[in-house]
Order: sequence, then C-alpha cells, then structure tokens
Amino acid sequence: MTTAIEFKHVKKDFHGTNVIPDLNLSVKKGELFVLVGTSGSGKTTSLKMINRLEPLTAGEILVNDRDTTTVPVRDLRWDMGYVLQQIALFPTMTVAQNIAVIPEMKGTPKKEIAKTIDELLTEVGLDPEVYRNRMPDELSGGEQQRIGILRAIASKPSIVLMDEPFSALDPLSRQQLQDLVLTLHQRYGNTIVFVTHDMSEALKLGDRIGIMRHGDLLQVDTPSAIAQHPVNDFVRDFFGASRAKNVYDIYVGRVGLVQGYLKEKPAVADNRIQTLDTEDTLRTGFEALANHDYLAITDDKVVQGYLDRQTVMAYLSMHENG
Amino acid sequence: MQTLIQTFMERRGDLLTALWQHLGISIAALVIAMIIAIPLAIWAVRRPKMAEGLLQLTSVLQTIPSLALLGLLIPLVGIGTVPAVIALIIYALLPIFQNTYLGISEIDDSIEEAADAFGMSRMRKLFKVEFPIALPQIISGIRTALVLIIGTATLAALIGAGGLGTFIMLGIDRNNTSLLLIGAISSALLAIVLSALVRWFQTAKPKQALTVFAVIVALLGSGGAYSAYANRTETITIAGKLGSEPEILINMYKDLIEASDAHVKVALKPNFGKTTFLFSALKHNQIDIYPEFTGSVLETLVKGNNPKSMTAVETYHLAKQRLAKQDEMSLLKPMAYNNTYALAVTKKFKQEHQLETISDLTQVDSLLKPGMTLEFIDRDDGLKGLKKAYGLDVTAKSMEPALRYEAISKGRINLVDAYSTDSELRQYHLAILKDNKHFFPTYQGAPLMTTAFANKHPKVVQSLNKLAGKISETDMQEMNYEVNVKNKSAATVAHNYLIKHGLLEGSN
Repeated sequence: MTTAIEFKHVKKDFHGTNVIPDLNLSVKKGELFVLVGTSGSGKTTSLKMINRLEPLTAGEILVNDRDTTTVPVRDLRWDMGYVLQQIALFPTMTVAQNIAVIPEMKGTPKKEIAKTIDELLTEVGLDPEVYRNRMPDELSGGEQQRIGILRAIASKPSIVLMDEPFSALDPLSRQQLQDLVLTLHQRYGNTIVFVTHDMSEALKLGDRIGIMRHGDLLQVDTPSAIAQHPVNDFVRDFFGASRAKNVYDIYVGRVGLVQGYLKEKPAVADNRIQTLDTEDTLRTGFEALANHDYLAITDDKVVQGYLDRQTVMAYLSMHENG
Repeated sequence: MQTLIQTFMERRGDLLTALWQHLGISIAALVIAMIIAIPLAIWAVRRPKMAEGLLQLTSVLQTIPSLALLGLLIPLVGIGTVPAVIALIIYALLPIFQNTYLGISEIDDSIEEAADAFGMSRMRKLFKVEFPIALPQIISGIRTALVLIIGTATLAALIGAGGLGTFIMLGIDRNNTSLLLIGAISSALLAIVLSALVRWFQTAKPKQALTVFAVIVALLGSGGAYSAYANRTETITIAGKLGSEPEILINMYKDLIEASDAHVKVALKPNFGKTTFLFSALKHNQIDIYPEFTGSVLETLVKGNNPKSMTAVETYHLAKQRLAKQDEMSLLKPMAYNNTYALAVTKKFKQEHQLETISDLTQVDSLLKPGMTLEFIDRDDGLKGLKKAYGLDVTAKSMEPALRYEAISKGRINLVDAYSTDSELRQYHLAILKDNKHFFPTYQGAPLMTTAFANKHPKVVQSLNKLAGKISETDMQEMNYEVNVKNKSAATVAHNYLIKHGLLEGSN
C-alpha cells in the first residue's frame, strides 16, 4: 500500500507560540485515518495543514508524493474534499448548487453534474425530487451534514478531510452519519483523514487511529492495538474515558475490541450461541450469557467474532480496575 | 385642496420635466456611488484598518451640510448637473460602503473557510458566495442611499440642475403652498416608489430584474438621446433669478429671439439662483444671457465707488461701462421700470391726503403708522437715510415681509416699504410715492451677456433691444400679479404682453 499523505518534521507556530513541535505521520492510500485528541491537541491544525488552510512553519507535507507547497493550491484543494464541523453549506445556494460547487469549477458538463447530484442524494437516502432545490436552512442538522459530505465527495476526490464533522449533531444523527462515512469510504475507496475528540467515534471509524496531545502524536495504531497496548497512561485514560459510566451500558463490540475476539466459530450447538450486534450493551450480553455459552458479535449482519464468559469477565475486571 | 389640484393640472408638463430631471440626477448619482463604494468596500474587507479610516471619512463627508457642499463645488466644477450629481454621490457613499463592508465582513468564518477549502478563486468566492450572502444588506444600503439622494436632490434646483426642487424653491419664493406641496409630495412619492423597486430587485428572478433594469436604462438613455436631438440647432441658454419677474422677462427674451431667427432655440433656466451665482455662471459660459439690474451691478458685481443720487441714465451708463471694462460683458439697454425700494400707501390714503411724492409725507407726519421690514429700517439706504434725506420724522414697527401687506390692508398700519414691482401692490390696492429726491438707487432691468456673445449674435442683441424703454412699473406689477396670484404661467403672461404692445407679430 502506498502513502497518500506524509508529514515530515512538520512544525507549526501560532503567533510565536509553538503548537506542533515535530510531527511525522504517514497516511496510507485508501485508509480511513482518525486523528483523535482533546481540544488544543493540534489535531485540527494538523488537518488544515494538509490542504494548506494553515501554512507550515517548518517541515513538509507530501500528498501523493508531492510537496504540497509545489502544487498549485487550487489543484491541491480540488482533489481534496473538506467537511467542516460548522457544516457551512453556502446559505444562498440550493442543495444541488452546494453539491455542484467543485464539479462546476472543474468544468464538468452540467448534465453530468445533475446526474451525479441525483445519484449521491439517493445514496444518502434523500429523495432528489424533494431535496434537490431545498435551501440549507430548510434541512435538519443531520441532513445538512449529509449534504456537506456530498459536497466534499461530489468530484470523487482521492482524499477527503473531515474536521469533527459530527460533533454538533444529536447522537442518533451522529451514528447514522458515521455509518454513512463507512459506507461511502468502502464504495469509493478514497483516503479519509477524520478528526474527532470522541474516542468511541475514532474506534468505530478508524482503520488506524492517531492519538494527539499538546501537538505530539502519542500513538498511531489500529483500534484494537491501541485498546490492548496503550502506549502510556494518557492513552489508556483517554480510551477509558470513552467508556460508558455504567459498565452495563458498554457496547459488547468494545469488549471484543479490547480483549480480542475468538476468531473460530466455537464447536458447540448453534442454540448455545446468541447473536448480538456490536452496539448492543453488556446488559443484553449478560442476559444472553445466562442461557448461552457464546456470543456472536455482528456488525451489519457480518460476524466480527465470538465472545465467551471468560473474555467478558476479563474485560469487566480490567474495567473495575480503571 | 382645490388650488392644489388646479396648480397640478396647470403645471403637470413642468412637473413631468422636473420629475425626469430629478430621476436622472438621482439615478446617475446612485449608480456612480455604487460603482465607487461597492468595489472600495470589497477591497477594504481584507484591510480592516483601511476600512475603519474609510468609514470615518465617508461619515465626515456625510456631515457636511448639503448647501455648504454645493457651495464648495461651484468654484471647482461650476454649476448645473455636474456639481449636483457629485454632491449626491458624496452623500450616498456612506450607506452603500458601510453596508457592503459590514455585509461581507460579517459572513461566518466557516463559510469563508469552506469556500477557500474548495479551491475557489478570490473572484469566484466573491461573486458566488460573499456577494449573494451580503446582498440583502447591500441592497438595504442602496435603498438608504436612494432615499437620501432623492431628498437631497431637491437642493439641485439651487445650482441650476433643475428637478423637483424647482417647485419647492418656487413655492417658497412665491409663498405658494400648492407648488411647494407638489414638489415635496412628488419627491417623497419618487423615493417610496424607487425604494420599493430596489427591494423588488432583491427578490425578483434575475431575468425579470435584468429586463426591468434594461427598460429603465433605455428610458433614461432615450430621454438623453432625445434632448441631444432636440439640441441640434443652436441653443441659447437664458437663465433668470428666483421669482416670477425674471421668469416673465426671460420668456419675453425667448419669444423675441426665436421670432427673429428660426434656427435658434432658446433654453430657459428659470429660478436658477441668486445674483452672484448667475453672474459666475455667465462668466463661465454655462449660460448665455440673464436679466440683471443696473443697481445690483454697481452694488455687488463690479468694483468702484458709487456717487450718490445718480439718475437712472447715469446709473445705467456707469454699470455698462464698468461691466465692459472689468468683465468684458455687455449690458443692453434697460427697460423702463425701476425695481427698487419704494414707500407705498393705500390708494385711498393717497387720495385723502393728496400725496404724490415722499416729500409730501412730511405734511402728514403725525398721521403715519409705518410697518416695515427690519432690513429696510436698519439700512443706510433704507429708512435711516430716507428720514435724513427727506426730513421725515417717523418711527416704524418692524414686521415680517408678508405680514406688513396684511396689516396695511386691515388698516393697522398705513405706510410700508416695498419693491416697486411687487405683485402685492396690485393685490392690496397700494400706490407708490415718487422718490422725488432720487434717494433710492435705480434698479433697471436689462439683458446681460458676454461681449463676445453679443458680437457673435447681433440678431439677438437687436431682438432684445426691442424691450428697451418698455414695461412700466404698473405693467410689471400687473404681470407679477397674474403669475403669483392668478397662477398664470410666466410664458403666457410674457407672450400676451409682447402681442399687446406690438413687439411680437400675430398670435400663435
């Protein structure tokens, strides 16, 4: 797998204060990379340096092996979708006009743009006939951000940057949009850099996660590797803080992530195995284990792995220990 | 109300012309102000310090009183439409600049960031994102400017740019409420209609808006083209001071000149301004001819000491000589009447006491109850000097000009100061007492033009000289009365006089 984005000794000062001392990071092509951290950790700044909304103080960023400062900024940005926390749809444009912003600049034929708009709207579950000519202020927050995402991907960019895109949404919309991001990522195979302060969001979305604090990248790894081998206390605490207050409210998917799934289907009768979704809670899990020996954890009907009583108990004991 | 409607019907031709001028000046000023202020505001958005300075500057410009601004512009660009439009532009800058600047700079940062992140060029961002978002605020600035412009444009009449202000100025000058109301109401209506139109532009579909805008521009353009077409023969511009009398005179000039030469067109600019203003207009060739008074020439226009107690003929010759020498201007032969200060009594009082001259008043000192304007009482060439010259022993009550006629007709006073051709003399049946000691300076009216113009247009000079020695004081009083009180048009009154006295042939 080749590298899509590479930070090389990137340094960033704001008004003489250093916020990022020395950042080195590679994002692979086709990867959904999540940058997670508390506010002020430099994650959004790092993101904005990729499309040059923020200039670098020192070092370089390579996009598709080219130094971003040597590429005309327009070309760089036209091949780089951008989704904002504030959504920021253009209020005087219709839904269709918003989505058409980049294709129009690129000179894509009108008919083709119209076709793309309809396809995209249908894909995110918005009827083009109904939504095409609506104005942004006629949409709910969740609907607005769907359009925000479509606007970013309308011209099929190879890279999409997302800056805390769902933090202002209600939990239900957030969950739906997270699923949408995963679906779209799978379909278009683009590279996504996703910034969030929410560890559960990072765990759900990321192929790999980078955890940032005070401008430093503390650990870069897959969700389960981070969960199992946090590099230091901060990472462990950050990860822990993402867990529900009440142990019964924790998703069963989290247990598998931390403890690791049993990959092989246990050699027992099917009626000894209870199928649960990753987002079912441990409460449901305990009830199931009262009558069954194993849990099959599915995400979107696809079995992720299996859990037995011991695994759940081991997780529980770790959780109790903090 | 009835007189209002009547005045309206009589004047609707003039009103339409004035409305057209008003609209032309206003829209020209508005469009130019937009062309200046909007790009300037866009430029300033990225330079907040500069913007602050520009806001201060435009605010300061707006606080200059409009009359002062017009006055300041005259020595720079002369008179007429140009200074009027410049003044209006200066007033319109602030609301348009301020609203455009604020409208764009108050756009949410995230929207700006999105536009940048999508690789929009500066121009594209401006026209696709910033402008549409700021548009409502920009339009409201334009509307504010428009209302301001239409109101202030009434002052354009003061410097000869015409417009609805002519009606207001005329109304004030003639104490004619109907004229004043017509001018004021029309300008208010114009502001309301145009403001609504601008608001409609904001919501209208682009195609409709464009069509309407094109129609307006085409109408204004064809108006301009028509006036250019109408001007293709030689046009002589004759202006007159404020009031009915100069307007009657210049209408006579027009009739006489056009009757003698079919290829010459005369454009009239009545109520063009005051003495020095007209004189400077003539000097700068912005007008060709205007009627001036011999006394005013000596008093305000030329340099040199004036000997006391000159006869009318002496006054004229001195004025003519000094004008020719100092300003290379020609003052043609004057008409008969003398429009000067005078003392007037009721005809009844005059007969009862057999009064003819001011000297006769000394016989009836004790019976006199004078009511006079404060200015007249206080001037050396007014009552002060008069008492000395004639040995008259009276004390006058000071009264407002309009009130003293009312008072004498009610019998509360019996002696007033007046101008010898005031229509009120006719209206209130008053008689002038002869200034037998030539105390008051002579003010005889005569056409004034540059000597160069006079040499180039001998036919015009010839035509105007037909009025020399014509028109008595009572003739003038009568004509002023017909215009001011009977609301006849100055053109009709002038024409009738010329026909009646055989100065113009036939009746058309």
